[in-house]
Amino acid sequence: MSRVLTWRALLTLAALAALPAVPGLPRYYLLLAFDALLFGAIAMSLDLLMGYTGLVSFGHAAFYGLGAYATAILMERGVLSLWACLGFSVLVVGAYALVVSYFATARRGIYFALLTLIFAEVVYTFFRYTQTFGGSDGIQGLPDAELWRGVPIDTPERKYYLVLAYLALAYATCRVVVTSHFGRVLVAIRENEDRARFLGYSVQRYKMAVCLISALLTGLAGAIYPIRSAFATPDLMVWTESGEFIISVMIGGLGTLVGPIIGGVFFTILRDKVSSYVDWYFIVIGVVLIVIVLFMPKGLLGFRRLLGFKQWRATA
Amino acid sequence: MKRVSWLVLLVAVAAGVAWLAPAAVSQPKVVKIGDLGSKVGVFEGYGKYQTWGIQMAVEELNAKGGVLGHKVEIISEDDETKPAPAVRKAEKLILQDDVKLIVGAVSSGATMAVMDVTKKHRTIHWNSVSCAEFMRTTKFHKYYFSNQPDSRMQANGLAKYIVDKMGKKVYIFYTDYAMGQSDGRQFKTAFEKLGGEVVGVAGAPLDTKDFSPWFGAINASGADVLFLAFAGTDSLRLMTQLHSFGMTKKYRLAGIDCFLLQQDLASIAEPMEGFVQLNHFSAYNPDAAMQAFNQKFKKKFGVDANIAAGAYDAVLFWAAAVEKAKSFDPDKVAEAHEGMCVDGTHIGRQCIRKDDHQVVMDMHLYQVKDGKNLPIARIAGSDTIGEAMVGKDPVAGFTWELKKKN
Repeated sequence: MSRVLTWRALLTLAALAALPAVPGLPRYYLLLAFDALLFGAIAMSLDLLMGYTGLVSFGHAAFYGLGAYATAILMERGVLSLWACLGFSVLVVGAYALVVSYFATARRGIYFALLTLIFAEVVYTFFRYTQTFGGSDGIQGLPDAELWRGVPIDTPERKYYLVLAYLALAYATCRVVVTSHFGRVLVAIRENEDRARFLGYSVQRYKMAVCLISALLTGLAGAIYPIRSAFATPDLMVWTESGEFIISVMIGGLGTLVGPIIGGVFFTILRDKVSSYVDWYFIVIGVVLIVIVLFMPKGLLGFRRLLGFKQWRATA
Repeated sequence: MKRVSWLVLLVAVAAGVAWLAPAAVSQPKVVKIGDLGSKVGVFEGYGKYQTWGIQMAVEELNAKGGVLGHKVEIISEDDETKPAPAVRKAEKLILQDDVKLIVGAVSSGATMAVMDVTKKHRTIHWNSVSCAEFMRTTKFHKYYFSNQPDSRMQANGLAKYIVDKMGKKVYIFYTDYAMGQSDGRQFKTAFEKLGGEVVGVAGAPLDTKDFSPWFGAINASGADVLFLAFAGTDSLRLMTQLHSFGMTKKYRLAGIDCFLLQQDLASIAEPMEGFVQLNHFSAYNPDAAMQAFNQKFKKKFGVDANIAAGAYDAVLFWAAAVEKAKSFDPDKVAEAHEGMCVDGTHIGRQCIRKDDHQVVMDMHLYQVKDGKNLPIARIAGSDTIGEAMVGKDPVAGFTWELKKKN
């Protein structure tokens, strides 16, 4: 198999594709799976920055929300084509990400994190107070998008396969990135940025490029969210959303790609299940997260080491 | 060691079978209903009382044999006061739990998002707390019903009293999301139509901790009356801060239906003294039906009833419609609802208007005295409900622009 698509990845994809065929599975679980896989895919995109480049972004919710609004704005105006929505989202998120990454990558460490946060808050506030885009209520009541004319994405099954296709695309993209020379330079930047610069690499360009890739993948996730939920609201861009993406990466395991997917899925399902039984569910989730951080500092995927697998984190 | 493991497994399987077995033998017919509301955060109180209202109605129904011979079971979910979790939980209630009714949500933004879900999945949906004006107009669908007076009804009821008795210059201060914006818009429209002057408007974000940055503009506006469209813990903080700035004495104050729960009044009795609020329930209203409802509620939960009365009524309406339709089929139940009247609600007999599924409910104006909401006027529901505007934009032509008078 190629470096990009391993047997394990294909088997996992096949198993996930068979999920709707499970007898007696409530259709709600397909929507929950949609949310979980989408969240996991976003965490994986963020892992390109956090795990491979050593950059912590507190602004990924803005990429996600902008993608969602791009789709919602088109669909509200009667443009139902999935491809048009995805294309428009790429344009909008790409333009925004270009600006953010240009300024943010000029700084390191906490300053990078703060700049991404500040930009995201500006975007959030803009949508929160702009009545053209529904203000705090956002854009609601969207119709079903269409794969092509006459084929609406209207059932939980179709929505699930949409997110699965996106996850496969996002994973393949991330694998291409991290297994390429470009990916190894990113790891070198994470390990020693000054040395990478002395070796002649234009560090800021590499950082900008990986920011763009990560942002576009997150924006695409945002673009398909309104197709599942029929709305886009400013809540999608709140900084706590970015925090949840970061938590998912940490839960799964930094610099592993698969780990953050598992982290995102774990976080989404945990939140869904615990909140049905406990009112103050975020305390329970908080305790679980503390336990993971304290006793599994390499995340859920860190268990692989205990089972004798090879080194789990990418090295330069 | 192996033997012990097998033993443990056997015991676990046996316990599991024993746990499941009685359920399989004598399972009564059950119909589930969903309770969707805020369980934590700024609207926690409303969510809690909504649940209690539903519980009381369900216990009464089950004591009489349930609905169509089915025992009613409640499944409660937290919507986190946000559209995304509200949608997720509504989908869970419908697609996983197979509920036949959803009551909720509490926040208007979440309720509107849930309306898309209940429309798509053909589920009867009752709203008993949210009041944005879009729900019985542009967002309306055949499975949606409401017994919460919406912003338009509240504005119609309040504006006349304020113009006649409180003052002609009003400053509108609202919580800047669906509910507050809606209340502010509808009040401004109604107040200006009656000849009043709106001298200023401002919105503060939901869950604002410090309102003082807005006080300067209010004081500079020359208002006689402060119209406040806030709810939950926002109202508590706002009133405390207005009082500490001496503004509760300086202005006459009026507010919306869900501004504060009766339970919260006692803790800020002094700032709230004289506050005029339109409401559809008060434990201090001598109305016989309200007193009877309050006694039942207080006996069960140990506190006075409040806006929870709406959730109680909603379940009664749904149960009556199911019995009338002799089916849980959502289309038949929705049709049975239309034009239906029910006698045993918290305010006696109430009817649903067929055109927009809004309950025509009489309301009262209350004034706070010593921490109690005392009635000062009764307003007929038929006077406030206004024309049915299904599919029409209720804010067409509206502008926040101030129309200055000399």
